[in-house]
Amino acid sequence: MIIFDDVSVTYRGGVQALKNVSLTIDDGELVVVVGLSGAGKSTLLRALNGLVVATSGSITVDGTEVVGASTKTMREVRSGIGMIFQTFNLVNRTTVMNNVLMGRLAKVPAWRSTLGVWRAEDREHAFQAMERVGIVDKAYVRASNLSGGQQQRVGIARALAQEPKIMLADEPVAALDPVTTHQVMGDLQRINRDLGITTLINLHFLDLARHYGRRLIGLRGGELVFDGDISEVDDDTFRDIYGRAITPDDLLNESADA
Amino acid sequence: MSDTAVPVTARPRKPRPQLTTYLLIIAIVAFTVFAAREIGLKWSSFIDMWTNPLWSRFWPVPWEWVFSRHNVFDPLIETFQIAILSTIIGCSLALPIGFAMSKLTTPNAPAFWLSRFVMNIVRAIPDLLWGKLLVTAIGIGAFAGAWALTIFSLAVMVKLFSETVDAADPLPLEAARAAGGRHTPAVRTAVLPEVFPAYVAYALYVFELNIRASLVLGLVGAGGIGRVVETQRATFNFDRLFGILIIMFVIVIIIEQISVAIRKRLV
Repeated sequence: MIIFDDVSVTYRGGVQALKNVSLTIDDGELVVVVGLSGAGKSTLLRALNGLVVATSGSITVDGTEVVGASTKTMREVRSGIGMIFQTFNLVNRTTVMNNVLMGRLAKVPAWRSTLGVWRAEDREHAFQAMERVGIVDKAYVRASNLSGGQQQRVGIARALAQEPKIMLADEPVAALDPVTTHQVMGDLQRINRDLGITTLINLHFLDLARHYGRRLIGLRGGELVFDGDISEVDDDTFRDIYGRAITPDDLLNESADA
Repeated sequence: MSDTAVPVTARPRKPRPQLTTYLLIIAIVAFTVFAAREIGLKWSSFIDMWTNPLWSRFWPVPWEWVFSRHNVFDPLIETFQIAILSTIIGCSLALPIGFAMSKLTTPNAPAFWLSRFVMNIVRAIPDLLWGKLLVTAIGIGAFAGAWALTIFSLAVMVKLFSETVDAADPLPLEAARAAGGRHTPAVRTAVLPEVFPAYVAYALYVFELNIRASLVLGLVGAGGIGRVVETQRATFNFDRLFGILIIMFVIVIIIEQISVAIRKRLV
């Protein structure tokens, strides 16, 4: 279970990215976070795994406090949280296998990963993660030689190789075309359903959120403005989150057809 | 077509060079003239120096002396041994130190500042002076030369390598940290693959430099072909000296071509 209790994040320079956010996420939930650029979506996810440090409040992951945690505790928490990035964040000059093995960093002694002497079971975990997103045939291809959709799947496989309890996806499809967007979103939905991994996805497009999400969290200017079932979302909710009425540009399918 | 014409609007003026640019150019020219007068530069000396009888003694080259095994070949092998050994040791040390010297991959602030401070001092002392100091400290010979070039390799390598690491993509490192990786494994898996081709390319370049530098280091008694060059120069055997230089020239060109070919395939 993830609990945000009155969490605020102020960046150096004074920008307040999150303002007194409180929310609880149960195990196995799939939550979609929407909001404009700068609304605090990314900060919300990053505060959870400590890539961004919360200025005040409390964040607990299965009872472990993240805010002000020691380096060691933070590493343990992170090892249970897989993260997927908008820009994939792959090591382009090495193979898919080596990228996916990065997900095993917290599971093996430092000397093994530093010397590249991975155990057979780590490679097996990596292969299984690749199989789950259908890229196992690319295992020994250089990451840079893959298409955008395939690269994001490597990102998902890397996160899966951690055997995580939680999956964070920070605008996972913002760099992808509509077709691959649906493939990647489908992968994330399936992983949530099949493995019961609690999943938080930041999205820009509201129709995508409607299509794949169950619970929707809306952020505006760092504040929580909506938290509820996706079926409750109407045009007023949209106005609350985006500060204006809905337009075709806000919908992936309409804007793709246009 | 007329309905698609864009109306003419006011255009911004091209910015003029700043006054400081002109002042800087004037200052550079003035300083050059001043410095030339101060050191007594005479243009005629550029012509006069070629009239010295020294140059006529460069030819003909006594090839049978040059190609005899003992005179040139053996010292040349020693030069290679010095250059290879010092490149390998220097560049190996440069890997962890180079990572410590980059803001992106340094384990902590003390490691960053200490490695920078020490490397700045090491780099401030030229290779020739390192050679001289080490010859005094551990005696004349190839061993002192190898040490001097190891330090030289390290100094050059950390500079080039740490700047490459600075420019490396920080995003994979973020991913490695998000996966709960410790510092060293995270750097190893997320940054090293990106910078390794450049690392190998620089190591080859450092090897080229070391072959050249070993010629100079011989002048201070640090072994290799440089020792032969110094002996022949001191005994005014300029024809032999010229023969050695031609051979060195050919070798350096060959190594450079091989190294360039490998580097092209790497990056």
